[in-house]
This record gives sequence, structure tokens and C-alpha cells, in this order.
Amino acid sequence: MAVAVQYYLLLSAAMFCIGLLGILTRRNALFLLMSVELMLNAANINLVAFSLQYGNLTGQVFSLFVTALAAAEVALGIGILLVLYRNFGDVDITKATTLRW
Amino acid sequence: MIVELLIGLCLLGSVVLFVAPSRYAGRLAAGWSLLPLALSLFMYAGFSGQGNAFLGGQLAYETTVQWVSLGPYTLNWHVGLDGISMPLIALSTVLTTAAILSAWTPIEDRENQFYGLVLFLEASLVGVFAALDFFVWFVFWEAVLVPMYFLIAIWGGPRRKYAAIKFFVYTNVASLVMFIGFFALIFGLGDSIGSLDMPAIAQALRAGELGSLAGVGPATLKTLAFAAMFAGFAVKVPVVPVHTWLPDAHVEAPTPVSVLLAGVLLKMGTYALLRFNFTMLADVAQRYAAIIALFAVVSVIYGALLALAQQDLKRIVAYSSVSSMGYVILGLVAYTVYGVGGATFQMLSHGLISGLLFACVGVIYNTTHTRMVDDMSGMAARMPVTTSMFVAGAFAYMGLPLTSGFLGEYFVFLGTFHADFPGAAWFTAIAMFGIVIVAGYLLYAMQRTLFGPFGVATDHGDGGAVRTDGGEDADSGAEHDIKRAAAHDVVPLAMLLALVIVLGVAPEISFGMIRDAVAPLLTGGAG
Amino acid sequence: MVATITAFAFEVAPAIAILPLASFVIALFAGKYLPKRGALAGIAATGGSLLLSLWVALTVAGGATYNEEIYSLVTTPNTFDLHFGLLLDPLSALMLVIVSLVSFLVHLFSLGYMNDEGEAGLPRYYAGLGLFSFSMLAFVFADNLFMSFVFFELVGLCSWLLIGHWYREDAPPSAAKKAFLVTRFGDYFFLVGVVAIFATFGTTVFAGPESFPTLAEEALAGSGGAGGGAGGLSTFGFGPGAWFTILGFLVLGGVIGKSAQFPLHTWLPDAMEGPTPVSALIHAATMVAAGVYLVARMYGFYALSPTTLAVIAFVGGFTALFAASMAVVKRDIKQVLAYSTISQYGYMMLGLGAGGYVAAVFHLMTHAFFKALLFLGAGAVIIAMHHRQDMWEMGGLKERLPIPYYAFLSGSLALAGIFPFAGFWSKDEILFEALVHGIGGSPLLLGGYLMGLTAVVFTGFYTFRMVLLTFHGEPRTHTARNPHDLGWSVKTPLAVLGILAATAGFVNMVPVGTILGLERIELLHGWLDHGISGLTVEHYGELTHDFAGYTTGALAGSEVLTVLLSAGISLALALAGAGLAWMLYSGPNPEAHTERLGDVRTLLMNNYYQDEYQVWIAETFGTGVARLSDRFDQSIVDGAVNGVSEVSLLSGDRIRRIQTGIVSNYATLLTLGLVVLLLTVGLAGGWFL
Repeated sequence: MAVAVQYYLLLSAAMFCIGLLGILTRRNALFLLMSVELMLNAANINLVAFSLQYGNLTGQVFSLFVTALAAAEVALGIGILLVLYRNFGDVDITKATTLRW
Repeated sequence: MIVELLIGLCLLGSVVLFVAPSRYAGRLAAGWSLLPLALSLFMYAGFSGQGNAFLGGQLAYETTVQWVSLGPYTLNWHVGLDGISMPLIALSTVLTTAAILSAWTPIEDRENQFYGLVLFLEASLVGVFAALDFFVWFVFWEAVLVPMYFLIAIWGGPRRKYAAIKFFVYTNVASLVMFIGFFALIFGLGDSIGSLDMPAIAQALRAGELGSLAGVGPATLKTLAFAAMFAGFAVKVPVVPVHTWLPDAHVEAPTPVSVLLAGVLLKMGTYALLRFNFTMLADVAQRYAAIIALFAVVSVIYGALLALAQQDLKRIVAYSSVSSMGYVILGLVAYTVYGVGGATFQMLSHGLISGLLFACVGVIYNTTHTRMVDDMSGMAARMPVTTSMFVAGAFAYMGLPLTSGFLGEYFVFLGTFHADFPGAAWFTAIAMFGIVIVAGYLLYAMQRTLFGPFGVATDHGDGGAVRTDGGEDADSGAEHDIKRAAAHDVVPLAMLLALVIVLGVAPEISFGMIRDAVAPLLTGGAG
Repeated sequence: MVATITAFAFEVAPAIAILPLASFVIALFAGKYLPKRGALAGIAATGGSLLLSLWVALTVAGGATYNEEIYSLVTTPNTFDLHFGLLLDPLSALMLVIVSLVSFLVHLFSLGYMNDEGEAGLPRYYAGLGLFSFSMLAFVFADNLFMSFVFFELVGLCSWLLIGHWYREDAPPSAAKKAFLVTRFGDYFFLVGVVAIFATFGTTVFAGPESFPTLAEEALAGSGGAGGGAGGLSTFGFGPGAWFTILGFLVLGGVIGKSAQFPLHTWLPDAMEGPTPVSALIHAATMVAAGVYLVARMYGFYALSPTTLAVIAFVGGFTALFAASMAVVKRDIKQVLAYSTISQYGYMMLGLGAGGYVAAVFHLMTHAFFKALLFLGAGAVIIAMHHRQDMWEMGGLKERLPIPYYAFLSGSLALAGIFPFAGFWSKDEILFEALVHGIGGSPLLLGGYLMGLTAVVFTGFYTFRMVLLTFHGEPRTHTARNPHDLGWSVKTPLAVLGILAATAGFVNMVPVGTILGLERIELLHGWLDHGISGLTVEHYGELTHDFAGYTTGALAGSEVLTVLLSAGISLALALAGAGLAWMLYSGPNPEAHTERLGDVRTLLMNNYYQDEYQVWIAETFGTGVARLSDRFDQSIVDGAVNGVSEVSLLSGDRIRRIQTGIVSNYATLLTLGLVVLLLTVGLAGGWFL
């Protein structure tokens, strides 16, 4: 039995909001990265859900693509994070404000 | 192809200078600049153009090459000369050589780059006066700013950065305003033109082919475009009240750059006014002649008054340039042979004379390290030749007969006094009073600096200004290294002075071709 | 054969001016290497000019005239023609002789005055003299007003160069500046006048059927002196009569400046800072004479306007009196002469304004001789006195310097107008003309006459005060007891001019001619009455009669009586003035009587505070307004420019505060922005309805 698509949408929206909330409130850069992952996965859920709905594989392929991109992004993000840590001795994003005005 | 050769020579020279060693840069640049100078004089001698370039005259040294097709418009490489642009090109090459020679003494740092930029500037200037396609013209027009910015910002005086940025931003914003005005006309013309060829645009506009744009009728559109372009070019001239970049730029710029700035760059503004506002939109210019004349007269008198209040020799000459360029505007608005022709002649003459005066101030500054009127006196005793040149240049500036300065102003007065616009005689009579004020401040400055007992106040670096008085025994000047200028400093002065006198005695040398190019402008319908 | 010689004389006439120009160039560039530093070149050139001028004058005397264009500055098919040309008629031929003679003698004198004194800058000095002669000679034979203006201005330049010759001191450069500026102020009006005459008549030539005086005359005759456009001439909204009067006034501005008439006379006394030979040249034959000559040259135009004539006469008469009164108290010998020059040119203006064209030209001629003589004589005294100029340091020079004394005396008698010296004849004729035209229906001229007459007393007084203080009595200083020797180059010009000052008056003895009924004795009158039609005395007489309403009156109906009375009164007054001076200053040790004048003396010594108020005007309206403009420019105009940049800088500074550098804030803004965008699009798109 198939789950109705609106439940997937609700799940996805919930995940997205959790991710967004994480980005807006967290100060630790690591959490920020995790929140971004959450948001990306929320998008992935949507893609897969609609792919199922329409019987079209494009959405599935796209979600794989996004996963690959997310992996790359995390690698890059953690790289930046390491540099950040080396320079500021911390990964608190509110401390790294040297580049403002 | 000869115009391309001229521009190419300058550009090539610029590249060569950039890679040349600094030690030889001065001599190399002077030698190289003789090439475009000789070429332009050769072109001048063999000049065969007739009529006005924008009004279907027969051009000299014309080239048209299709370049880029861009939507409905074609961009052409179109250059050619008429009797207005030819003398101005010769002026540019002459002043470049003079400026390079007068830079030998004061420029002691990164010489190769300095001369490279000067030659690049020369190429752009020649391009501005030769270009007949708007796109090409605009590229050159903006390209002038780049070397000028660096010349002021790198080799200038203490406030050079302020002056350079002010100059660049001010004139660039002005270009933008002008650009908007001009493109309003282009779009208003719509399909009746297929390229940005300026003569074609001019003829279309004069034939009354302007349509409406964005709900604005042709008449209003013309007036608005005229206002925008006038405002844009007025900054370059400069016309009061948009003149304040000029004194700052002049004071901070090194002297050779001042020579070029006053000598040629200001002429770009009046040249463009003549080509765009007064040729393309002649009917608007004639309708608002009295208002434009008012701007001109205010520039003349107000500029002269400002010069009267200055203490810095360079500021004096800078403000008096504002005053002199007012005469040019006044002549343009007259729409008579002597008016417009005289204005063009005055551009030429003022270029030579202001170049001469700036170069003289520079030679004095090289040895005194001050330009303040109060800081020196009796320079004539130590620098007799330079003083003579300064005196001759100053009198030429005052419009003494048998110098080109007199004829330039006289033509303008003669042409404007009986011009058609209301109050022409009054405007002219008031503007003529400028000749009294100019005599006032130049004579005052000369009396204070050149004559009287010798003395110079200089800052010896130990904080206090020390004043040295030469006393009666003029030869014991060893305590102070005020000495005669070197030959290479005097040569450019003599060269410019000779031209000023030649043009003053035989104006027909250039007035002939100017008149020929101006005449079609006055007849043949303003649409 | 005669015709070819005549033609040839006129062909070479430009060389009259070109020769001094050549000497200018030689002295300027090669003067350093020449034996006398350019003096010989100058002497040769002006000597050549003198010979050529005499030749031209002889040719003109034969009845020939010349009026040709020689060099066109610009060729303009349909509009005004700017050219240089030659107008050789009796007036210009006479003036050419005068100018080249004085110039030649001044060059000669300079050899003694400058060279022997070991001066520096001699090439510059002789170059200046050459250029001065060139400009003046070219001005004299100019055939159009444009050319006149050109050389009028060049004359101004030369005066600047020469007055400021001793530039190492403070005073000469300042005096030079003043001379140039004041005359430039006058020239401004002249410039407007020339341009306006071009715009009105389309031409500025002096002579011929297409000349502007002729056109003006036709216009006035045609329109009857009223109404609008006259004969196709553009009169700028005025009636032709009024407009021609305005034009006359405009040109007169230049004349008043150069000829040092009130109120633009202040530059001339200061100009005494220049070397004395230069003063002789400026006062006798070149710069100051240029103004009066210009009025004489275009007299056909001035004669059309009664208002202008009246003003000329009045300014002239007033200046004559005004300047003479100031000369009375001066201590410096050159200052006395300077004010006498102003005064004498006032007489000439009075003569021109009163319709006495011949009289004015006559006085211009005699004055050139005796004033050059007086200045050169003063120069000789100054050499002898080792460059001291205060008359109270002199005295008793008569025995020690006999030739300068007798020459100077001859000049003084001429200046004071004592019979039968040159000045008597010419000054008397001017006063006579003013008198007869005054009684003949133009009573305004009587005012000018009375002022001129009063000035005669002053002239007699200051002239003999000067002579007595300088040459008579006991030497008052050591220098005066042992004067410097004088060379031949100093004495020769004095002798030549001394003879001319005594005899030049005989060329036009109007009183003798009238009384004896010998018209032929009035040689100058006859000389000026031939030549180009429209430029003759007879024609001018008609014009002043027809347009200015000048008619000749006579006292008690008798012409002879009038002549005698006029001459008698002026001679008596001159003698009275001279006698007064004799009474006060004749003894071996004269007292300084001027002290007794008290406040009047202070006023006169300060020249009626003319300088003060002019400087005040220049300061207030020149420098003051300039300072204000500068402040306005710096604060408001440039302030606005800098304000624009300030505003953009400031707003940038404020807005950049949004960039906190904290990623969370950016993310918040991003989110909020998206929400706002969605809401806006949604509301606009009607999603929520």
C-alpha cells in the first residue's frame, strides 16, 4: 500500500524546518553543517516521493545527485571548519567576524 | 590609414616605454614623441579636407571598416579629419612633446611608466579628435581618463589621491549623464539609423528624423538630451558651476601633466560640445542661446575673479583656464563664422598658451620648490630666460595683439557681438571685461614673483621656512641653488611661444581650415 | 618718373615701422654681443625711419596720398575683414616725422643716459625702445581702427616693459603694472568700441567712401538724426545719433586711458619710475600721444556727435587745470613734468572737443618737441646730479650746464606759452578755437575755455618754479656744485629740440595770419587741408558745423579783435604765472613757499587722493569680490561636490553595518527575505484568496 504523497511532504517540511532552525540558532559550525544536511535530505525526500507518485525515475536520479553533492559539500565544509578551528581556536561562527566591514 | 598609423605610433611608443629602462626613458620618450609630431605636421601640411566632418564634408585621411554587428546597429571603425579636428590633433602632438621635455627635470621616479602613460594618453587624445563612430569615440573618450588618473595619483603632490579620485569620479559621472542623453537620441531616432556613425546621426537629427521615445515628443526629447549632454560635457570644459575638480587636479598634478590637462583635455569638452550639442542639436542650442551664453559669461567673469584671489601660481592659471574656456562657449553659441571659428581658434590658442604658462610655472617650481606668490620675488634676476617666457606667455594670455590669445578672443567677441540671440551685445561686452581682470591677476602675480628684490622662502626640511634674500649682489646666489633653467626646460617654452606668435601673426594657417569646417554649420537648416 | 618715385616712397613706407622692429629683434637676441648693446642698431633703425618718414612727408606734400591694405590677417569672404593697411595722408605723415624724430633723439640720448652709466640689461632696454617705436609708428599709419587697436595695445606692453626696466627695485614693477592696468581699463571700452563699430558698419577703415565715418555721416544725413535703422546699419535698438555717440564714448575710453585724462591719469606720474629717456618717449611722441592722435585720426566720426565733442572738451579742459594745479607743489623734477604732460594733453583734448582740429594737431606737434626736450633736459640734469631728482637738492646749475640750461629754458618758455616760442602759438590757437566756438553758439565750450585759461597761470608758475629751483640761485648740495660731465650724445638731442621748441610754432601763426590777412602763413592749416577727401580740415569744419552746431563767433563782431584779445589774455596770464614764480623763487636761496599753502598743499601733494580712491575701488571691487567668490567657491560650489561624495560615503558606512560577519544573521536575513518575497508574490498573485 502506498503512503499518500502529502505525508511525505509533511515529513519533508518538518525536516526542512528543523534544519532551518538549526542554521538560525546554532553557533557551532559542525551543527550548522548537519542542519544543512537535514535540509538537503528534506529536499531528497520530496524528490523521491514525487518520483514514486509519477512513476518517473528522474527524481530518484536527482536525489542521488544531491546526495553526491552533499557529500562533496560536507567535505568542503569540514575543510573550512578545520581551517576555522586552526585560526580561531574554536568553531563558533559568531567569533569569526574578521571579514565584516 | 594614416590616422591609424598615428594612433599606432603612440600606442607602440607607450609599450616600448613601459619596458624601457628608466634611465633612458626621458630621452627615448622625447625622441619617440617626435614621430607622431612629425606625422601630424605632415598631415597638417597635406590636409585636403573640405567642409564639416559631421555635415557631409569631404574628409581627410578617412577610414571606414565594419567592425561588429550588434543587434540593429553596426559598429564601424570610422575615423577621419576635418578643419576642426586637424588643428586639435596637431595641438595634442605638439603639447605631448612639450610635456615630455618639461618632465625631464621634475619626474625622477618610475620614469618609464610615466612616459608610457603620457604616450598612451596621446593616443587616446588623437583618437577622440579623429573618431567618427560613437562607439570608437566613446572608447577613446574614456580611455583618456585612465592614464590621467594614474599620472595624477602616482606622480602628483601631497593631496594627489584626493585630486585624482575627484577628477576621475567627477568626469566619469559626467560621461554617464552625457551617455544617457546621447542614447535617448539614438533610440529616439529608431530605425532611421543603422549604425552609431556620428555624421549619420548628426544629419538625421538635423533632418528632423527624431521620433518620440517613451511618450516624450521629439522636441522635448531633444531639449532633454541637449541638457544632459551639455551637463556632461560642461564638466570636462569646465563650465561654472561644475569646475571645481580642475584646480585640485591642476595643483596636485605634476607640471607636465598640467600642461596636457589644460592644453588638450579641456579642449575635449568644448570639442564634444561643438560636435554633439552645437552640431547635432543646433536648433536647441539656438533656442536656448541666451541661457548658454549666461553660463559662458559667468564662467569668464567668475573664473577670472577666482584667479584673482589665488596665491598658488598653478591655481591662478587653472582658474584662468575656466575663464578662457568661457570665451569658447560664448563663441560657439553665437553661430557666426567668427564666433564658432573663433571659439575653435581659441581652443587651439588657449591650449598653447596655458601649456606655456604651466610649463613656466613648472620650471620655476623645479628650482624654488614653491609655487606660492608670497614665497618668492625677483626671480627675473636669476632666471632671465624663463622669466621672459613667462612674461610673454602671460601677455599672450591677457590677449595682447600679435599673439594667438588676442585673435582667439577678438574673433569670439567679433562673432558674438552681433549674434542673433537676445542680449548678445551685452553678454559680449560683459565677457570682454574679463580681459581687464586677467591682466590684473597676471600682472600682480608677475610683479610679486618675478620682479622686485630677489628672495625665496623654502622649507629646508628642518621644519621652519627660511627666507633667503639675495641682496644687491645678485651673483652670490650660491647660498641657494636658484639657478638658470637647463636648456631642455626652456626648449618646450620657446617652442610653444613661437607657435603662439606665429598663430598670432598669421592666423590663416589654422583659421583657414577652421572657417571652412565651421561654415556648413551655420547654414543648412537646423531642423 | 615722378609718379614712380611717389609710388616707390609709399611702397617702402612699411619699412618705417619695420626698421625699429628689426632693431628690436637684433637688440633682443644679439644685443649682448654688440658694441653698444643694441644702441647703434636702434639709432640706425630710427634714423632710417626718420629719413623715410621725411621722404613720405615730402611725397605727401606733393599732393599724393596712399590708402592701401598691405597684409590680411584672415580672409573672410562674407564677414568682417581684419587687415593691416597703410593710410598715408598729411596727418599721419606729420605724425610719422614727429615720432621717428623723437624716437631717434631718444635713442641717441640713451647712449649717454644709459650706456655711460654702466647699466645692466641694456639689450632689453634697447629692444623695448625698438618695439615701442615700431608699435607707435605702425599705430600712426594704421588705416583701420582694428589695426589701431592692435598697436595701441602693443604700445601698452612696451610701456610696461620700459617703465619696469629697473625690475630689481620694488617701485618700477609696481608702476609698470599700474600703467598697464589703468590703460587696460580704458582699452576695455576701446575694445568694445572697435567690436561694436565692426558690428555696426561692417568695417573699421578710416578713409574712403566705405569708411565708417563716411557711413555714419551718410546714415545721419539720411535719417535726419532720428528714428530706427539707418541706411541698413544695425544700431542695436538705439537711434543712429545716440548709438554713434555711444560708440564715440567707448573708443574715447581707450583715449582717456592712454592719454592720461581725468580720471584715468593716475598711472602717468607713477610711470616716472622708468628711465628718463623712456619718459621722454612716452610723453612726447608715443603712448600718451597715441590717444589724442586716435581722436584726430577718426575726427570725422567724432565731429558727428555734439555730446561726445562736448565731453571731450570738458574732460580736456578740466584735466588741463586739474593736473596743472598738482604740478605746483611737486619737489621731484620729473613729477612736475609728468603733471605738465597730463595738463598739456588736456589742452589737446580741449582743442579737439572745441572743433579746433588743426589747433590740437598743432599742439600735439609742438608739445612733442618741447616735452621731449624738457624730459631729455631733465635727464641731463639727473645725470649731472648723479641720479637725484629732487629740485631742492639742485640749484645754480646754469653756469655749470650751459647747453642743457638754454635748451631747457627754450622748452620751458614753450611750455609756459610765452611769445614767440612754439607752445604759445599752439596753445593760444586751442584757446582761441574754444573761445570763438563758445561765443558762437556753444556756450558749454566756454567752461572748457575758462578752465584752460586758468591752467595757463598755473603752467607759467610751475614751469618757472622748476627752472628757477633747478638752474638758478646757489647750489644747495655738494652734488649740485660738482655736477657730472655730459657727453655729446646728451647735448646733441637737446640742441636740436631746443631749436625746434623755439621755432616750430612759426608753421602756423594764426594770430599773425589773421591780423595781416595772410592766409598763407598758416602752413599747418594748409598742410592738413589737402589729402584724402573726407579727412581734410575743411570737411571737419563742415561736419562740426552741420552736426555739432559749431559756429564761429567773435567778440564785438571783430575777428581781429578776438584774436588779439585771446592771444593777449593767455600771454598775460602766462607771464603773470611766471612772474609769480620769479617773485617767490628767484633769490640765491629760495624758500619753500608751498608750505604756506597748508592743507591745500597736503591735498595737492596727495594728488587730490585720486590714487587712494582708485586703489580703494580696485581693492573693494577687485580683490574684495574675488575673495568673496573664492570663499563661495570653496565652501558652496566645491562644498556641494564634496557633499555628494560625503553623503555616499556616509550612507555606505551606515549600510555596511548590516554585514555583521555572523553567518547566522545572514541566514536569518536570507530566510526572512525569502518569506517576505513569497508573501509579496503570493499576495500580489492572489494565492491566499
